[in-house]
Amino acid sequence: MSDDPNDGSRPRLKRDFNPVPGLAAVALFAVLALVFLQASFGEAQGFEQGASITASIGYAMFNIDAGAISGAVVSGEGFVVAFVLIAVALDVAIDGAVFLAKSEDEEGGIGAVLTDGGREIREKLRGGDD
Amino acid sequence: MFAPPEAYLVLSAAVFCIGVFGLLTRKNALLFLMSVELMLNAANINLVAFSFYWGNVTGQTFSLFTMALAAAEVAIGIGIILVLYRNFKDIDVTEATTMRW
Repeated sequence: MSDDPNDGSRPRLKRDFNPVPGLAAVALFAVLALVFLQASFGEAQGFEQGASITASIGYAMFNIDAGAISGAVVSGEGFVVAFVLIAVALDVAIDGAVFLAKSEDEEGGIGAVLTDGGREIREKLRGGDD
Repeated sequence: MFAPPEAYLVLSAAVFCIGVFGLLTRKNALLFLMSVELMLNAANINLVAFSFYWGNVTGQTFSLFTMALAAAEVAIGIGIILVLYRNFKDIDVTEATTMRW
């Protein structure tokens, strides 16, 4: 970061880091790219002509039988169990996030969020009368 | 229209290695979260590319679930960073070397 105070506060690329551990990442990329470029894959199969991918994802996500739908559908496995599991995981995650974000001195602390529009503090300062 | 699968693999390897680079060189916990997110998205690129390669929509559907899982991970991660800041007045990951304070 620049120390010049007149340089404004625009974002800058961080340059003062130790680049030696980063070389491991670069080496990993070199190895991966070498392996991938030497592998032979052949021609991609591709999706069915005229099939709606969005609709197909919807059918796959909720285990809807593609045979019952008119029009071209790209086949896929059913994912409704995974859908419910992910829903539960997201629910647990938001509960965990709220639990972690809650401060220990929740009630009446200086850092507590003013959910009453500051009425409590005002009454404390003025003695209650308006 | 569709580039060869190698191109997608190299792109995904590049994104993944940028994530690894960030994890290895940064100390800020928020940048750690961003790096992990890059690595997860590298996996998503592979899933979508091979979904087209096999002509099957399973990979694309699964990548949606991966994104949802990444969102859950970030929610917890930001909660942990909040606690880290509250206890150490900093989000430098090298500061928090003990489990107790």
